Amino acid sequence: MSEKLSEMVKLMAHTSRGDLASFEKLYSATSPRLYGLCLRMLGNRDEAQDVLQDVYIKVWHHAGEYHPERGSPVTWIVSIGRYACMDVLRQRRGHQDVDDLKESLRSAGVEPQQAALASADKESLDRCLGELSDPHRASIQMAYFHGLSHGQMARTLGKPLGTVKSWVRRGLDFLRRCLER
Amino acid sequence: MKPDHYQRNHALAAEYVLGTLRGGARRRFETWMLESPRVRRQVWYWERRFQSLNRGIVERQPPAVVWRRIHARIGRRRPAARAWWWPVGSMLAASLVLALVLLWPSAPVSQQYVGVVQNSQAEPLWVLRTVTDNGHRRLSLKGVNVEAVDGKDFELWLLPRSGAAISVGLLPAGGGQRSTSLSERQLEVLRRSRALAVSLEPAGGSPTGQPTGPVLYQVRMITL
Repeated sequence: MSEKLSEMVKLMAHTSRGDLASFEKLYSATSPRLYGLCLRMLGNRDEAQDVLQDVYIKVWHHAGEYHPERGSPVTWIVSIGRYACMDVLRQRRGHQDVDDLKESLRSAGVEPQQAALASADKESLDRCLGELSDPHRASIQMAYFHGLSHGQMARTLGKPLGTVKSWVRRGLDFLRRCLER
Repeated sequence: MKPDHYQRNHALAAEYVLGTLRGGARRRFETWMLESPRVRRQVWYWERRFQSLNRGIVERQPPAVVWRRIHARIGRRRPAARAWWWPVGSMLAASLVLALVLLWPSAPVSQQYVGVVQNSQAEPLWVLRTVTDNGHRRLSLKGVNVEAVDGKDFELWLLPRSGAAISVGLLPAGGGQRSTSLSERQLEVLRRSRALAVSLEPAGGSPTGQPTGPVLYQVRMITL
C-alpha cells in the first residue's frame, strides 16, 4: 500500500471514531477531485456544492463502513458523489428536451459525437477504452460523466434506442473481457 | 432471470455503476445487492475500474463555505456508527450493509428500514425490513438458509444508544419468515440507534429478558 493510500485509510479510520481533525484532512485531500467531478457533471456550482455537503455528511456518519474492497477511500467517496450527481441530473432531466441536453453537454465541454478520452494514461480501463470503437466509447462516457439514459443518448445522438443500448452493452462487455485479460 | 447468474449480473452491475440501469430494474438490482455479497462485489469491481476515468478530472478547490456548512451540520456529534456499546469483543464480526444507503437516491420516499444480518463471510442470514400493516409498524424477519442450532434459538435485540437491550423476538431458522409488531418505544429506539444484534439463546428465548448467550451478529438498519 502506498504511503498516500495508507495515510488516507488512516484518516478514514480516525474519522469513523469521531476525530474531526482527521475528517477535515480527509475532506481537504479528497474534496477537490469530487468537486471537479461534480462541476463537470452538473455544470452548476451551487448544485455541486450541495452535493459535496451531502456526501461528506454521509462520509462522516458512515466512515466505519468503508473497507478496502470498495477501492481506495477516494474511490469510495467519489463513487458516492457520482451517484449523488446522477440523482441531481435525473431530477433535472425530467424537464429537459433534446436541445437542452445537447446544450448542457456542450456547456460542459463535450461534443456528443466525439467525446474524447479523458486521460492519456495507458493503464487498465484507459487502455481498454482506447481499444473501443468511437460510438461505444462515447456512449459509455456520456452515461458516466453526464448521467444520460439510453433514451436520452438516443435522442441526443439521433440514433435508434436499440442501437444505443447495443453500443453500451457491447462496450461494457468488451471492457470486462479486456480488463480481465 | 436469476440474481445469481454471474455473467448477467456482471453486465447489470456495470450498467448500474454507469447509470444506464434505471427505474424498476435499478430498484430490483439494489434489492439483489442487499441480499447477495457477490452482486455487491461485482458493483464494487466496476466502481473501482471506472475510477480511472476520474483521473482525467480537473481538480477544483471548493470554496471554504462548503466546509463551514459541513462542519456546522455535523457539529460535534460523533458518527452514529460509533455509538456502539455492545460487548461483542472477539465475537464473529458481522459485515454491515449500511454502505448501501450511500448508493441510494438521497430523498427517501418513506421512512422504511432495511437491514441484512450477515456472517463473517458476508453471506446473508436474515433480511430485516419494517413494514406497515393496517397502520401498524411491524418488523419482517426473513431467514436465508440459516442453519438451526439444536436446543437453541436466535434472538434479535434492539440496542438503544444507552441502556439495556430490548428483545424484538426470535428469528426464524432455515428460510422461514415471520413478522413482529413494533411498539412506539421500539420504533423510537430503532429510529435513533438503528442498531440490532443477534444472540444465541436457550430454546424459547432468553429467560432473563436480557441476552444470556453469545452475541453472534450485529447489524445496522438503513433507510430506504
